[in-house]
Amino acid sequence: MAKKHKPKAKHSGSNHRPHSAPKGRAASATRTYSILDYRLEKPSFHLRQVRDGDTVRYEVTGTLDGAVPPIRDSKYLSKQQCIEIYRWMLLNRKMEAALENLYKQGKVVGGVYFGLGQEACSCASAYALKPDEWLGPMIRNQGSLLVRGFSPRDIMMQYMAKAGSPTKGRDASSHFGDLQQKNVVAPISTLGDLIPVLAGVALGARLQGKNIAVMTYIGDGGQSTGVTYEGLNFAAVQNLGLVLFVENNLWGYSTPADMQFRVEDLAERAIAYGIPGVIADGTDACQIYDAAHEACERARRGEGPTLIEAKMMRMKGHAIHDAAEYVPKPLFEYWKKRDPIARFDNYLVNVKKWLTRAEHEKLVAEVDAQLEADREFAVASPMPKPETAAGGTCCEPGCHDIKPKYGVPKVRTEKVSSARRAQAALHLK
Amino acid sequence: MHLTYLEAIRQGIWEEMERDPTVFCIGEDIGIYGGAFKVTDGFIDRFGPERVIDTPIAESAIVGAAFGAALTGMRPVAEFQFMDFIGCAFNQITNMVAKAHYRWGAPAPLVVRGPSGGNVHGGPFHSQNPEMYFVHTPGLKVVCPATAYDAKGLIKSAIRDNNPVIFFEHKYLYRRIKDDVPADDYIVPLGEARVARAGHDLSIITYAAMVHVALEAAEQLSKEGIELEVLDLRTLSPLDRQAIAETVRRTNKVMILHEDVRTGGIAGEITAIINEEAFDSLDGPILRLTALDTPVPFAPPQEEFFLPKVSDVIRETRKLLAY
Repeated sequence: MAKKHKPKAKHSGSNHRPHSAPKGRAASATRTYSILDYRLEKPSFHLRQVRDGDTVRYEVTGTLDGAVPPIRDSKYLSKQQCIEIYRWMLLNRKMEAALENLYKQGKVVGGVYFGLGQEACSCASAYALKPDEWLGPMIRNQGSLLVRGFSPRDIMMQYMAKAGSPTKGRDASSHFGDLQQKNVVAPISTLGDLIPVLAGVALGARLQGKNIAVMTYIGDGGQSTGVTYEGLNFAAVQNLGLVLFVENNLWGYSTPADMQFRVEDLAERAIAYGIPGVIADGTDACQIYDAAHEACERARRGEGPTLIEAKMMRMKGHAIHDAAEYVPKPLFEYWKKRDPIARFDNYLVNVKKWLTRAEHEKLVAEVDAQLEADREFAVASPMPKPETAAGGTCCEPGCHDIKPKYGVPKVRTEKVSSARRAQAALHLK
Repeated sequence: MHLTYLEAIRQGIWEEMERDPTVFCIGEDIGIYGGAFKVTDGFIDRFGPERVIDTPIAESAIVGAAFGAALTGMRPVAEFQFMDFIGCAFNQITNMVAKAHYRWGAPAPLVVRGPSGGNVHGGPFHSQNPEMYFVHTPGLKVVCPATAYDAKGLIKSAIRDNNPVIFFEHKYLYRRIKDDVPADDYIVPLGEARVARAGHDLSIITYAAMVHVALEAAEQLSKEGIELEVLDLRTLSPLDRQAIAETVRRTNKVMILHEDVRTGGIAGEITAIINEEAFDSLDGPILRLTALDTPVPFAPPQEEFFLPKVSDVIRETRKLLAY
C-alpha cells in the first residue's frame, strides 16, 4: 500500500537565474543555473555501443532496480478530472491495440506508429489546453488528438486511407488537423517543423490581442534538428506562449538518446534559450498535467515559452515493423513496471479510492464499446475514388473565407489622404 | 506618380497594410533599418513594431511562424533579405506550407518576398534565380514582375490571395527602372501574362529583367523592319497557357529568354506547353536563350558571359527568322 505524502517541488533557487556569491567572498568565476525537477525518482541510464563477440550491440548502465515511486498528487486536478484523463489514456492505448489488430488483418495502409508507454504525456498535456488554444501533435501523440476532440474512427480511417478520413485519404497516421474548432495543426514527417509554426500561431493570436498557450512536442531524436532551435529561439526572443514538451523516450528509431545529445537532461537546453525548463516523469499523468498547466498559465500571462522534458520510454519499436530488439532487456523491464496506465489505475482505485472496482470495470467497458463502434464504422467506410487524387492544391475563389480567429487586430486608424499616403510611402524627404 | 520598381513595391505593401489590419511584415532588418534594400523604410514608424517584426537569422522560423500566423487568419508578408537564402527555409515552404491546403484544407495566405537575380556583381549567393524550385512545387504561386506598375499591382494581388505566393523582385530593376504608377488601389491579377510589345515576326517569351533586354533587342531590330513580340509572363506559376499559345499563333516563331540557368529553367516547361497547345502553329524549332549551367560567377567579365545579352538575343533571333 503506497504511503500518502505531499511531496514538495524539488528545485534549488530560482529557475535559470545565476546564483550570487555568499556574502564576504569574491564573486565566483562561474555561474550556476537550476532546472525544476518534479520527479520522485531520478534514474540515470546510459547506453553505449559495445562489441560482444562478433556483434556490436547496445549496453545499458545505470541503476535499474529502483522501486516504482507513487503518483505525485496533482496541485490542480480534481477527482473528476483525474478520472477523465485516465479515460483518455485508456482510449489512447486501446485504440492503438485496435490499430495493431487492423494492421494484422491487412486493413491498414503502410505502417502503424505507437505511443505505448507515453499515454500519460500525450493525454495529460493536451488536457491543460483551453478549447480556443492550439495543439501541434507529433506522430505518437494520438492521445492528444483524442483529447482535442478527434475520435478513434478519425485516426483509424487515416491509417486505412479511407475517403472519410480527416485528410480524405491524402495523408496518413496523425498527419491531420483542424482550423475551425479543434485548433490542431497537422504535422509533417520532418521533425521540429511544428515548433516555429506553433510559435507563429501564438504570434497571430497576440497580434489579434490575445495571449494564448500553444502546445507541441518533439522527441529526444527530433530535437536534434536545426528547425527545432530556430523555432524555439524565435518563440523565446518574441516571448510567445509556446509550451514545448520534449518527449525523451530514450530512442530515436534505433538511436539511443546518448547518441543524440551530450547533456544529462534535455530540460537543461532551456537555459540556452533563456526560458524556464522543467523535468517531469512522463509516466505520471499528474506530474505532466501540473507542468503543462503551469506552463500554459505562464503563456496566458504573456510570460513566454516553457520547455518541459517528459522522461519515459518508447515501449514498442519505431513503427510496427520494428521489433526493437536493439533495446537492452533490463531497460524494457524497468519501464514496464512504470506503465502509465497501470500506475494511474492503481492510484485511482487503490490509493485515492476514487474509483471502485465496479466503476473501473464500467469505465473500461464503455471505452471498449466506443472503440468497437468506431472500429466497425471505420472498417465499413469506403476507400476514396481514384480521381479524388486530383485538385485541391490551391485555395480557389470562394473556397475559404479567411477571418482573424480572435478578432480584428487593433491598429492605428488615423485618416490620411491618398496623396499624403502615397507621399508617406515614398518617404520623399 | 513616377516611381521606381522598388518604390512601387513599397507603396503596394504599404497600401495593403493600411487597408487590411491582418497584414503584417516579418523578416530580418526590416524594422528600424527599413530592410536591406529599404523596401520597408518608414513602415515601423507608421505601423509599429507589432506589425513590422525583426527576426533572428532563422529563415525556417520566419516561414514557419508566418504560416502559423496565417492559420489564425493573419496575412503575413515574409521578407527574405536575398532570395538566395530561400534554401534555408526550403523544407518549411515546400513541405509544411505548400502541401497544407491539399492535405488538410488549410489555406496559407502568406507572401514570401525578396530580391533575386544578377547583373549586380553579387556573386553566387546574392544573384540567384531560385524560382523553379517553387514552380516545381504544387500548391505555391510564383510571381516575377518586370515593371514598376506590375510590381505594385502584383504584390497587392499576392497579399490578397489565399494561397502562398513566392514573390521574386528583381534587384537589378529595383532602382533602374521607373514607371507611371497610379497612386490608387489597383491590382494586377496573378496568372496573367502581358504583351509588353506587339509584333508579328517572332515572339520572345520572357520575364523579369530579361523583359527589358528583349525590348531593347526589339527596338534595334525594328530599325531593320523586323517586329518582335515580347510576352512578359509576370506569373510563373500558374503559367498563362492561353497567352503563350496565342503569341505562338500570331508569330509562328518562338524564343524563350530567361536569366535562370538552362537546365530545369522554365523554357523547358514552356516548350512542352507550346507542344501541347500550339504545335501546328510553329514554323521552326523553339529556341531558348538562358544563362549557363553554372552558379552565378562574381567577376564582371564572367558574369557578363554568364547572362544572356541583347547581342545574344539579336543573333539568335536572326537565326530563327532565317529557318
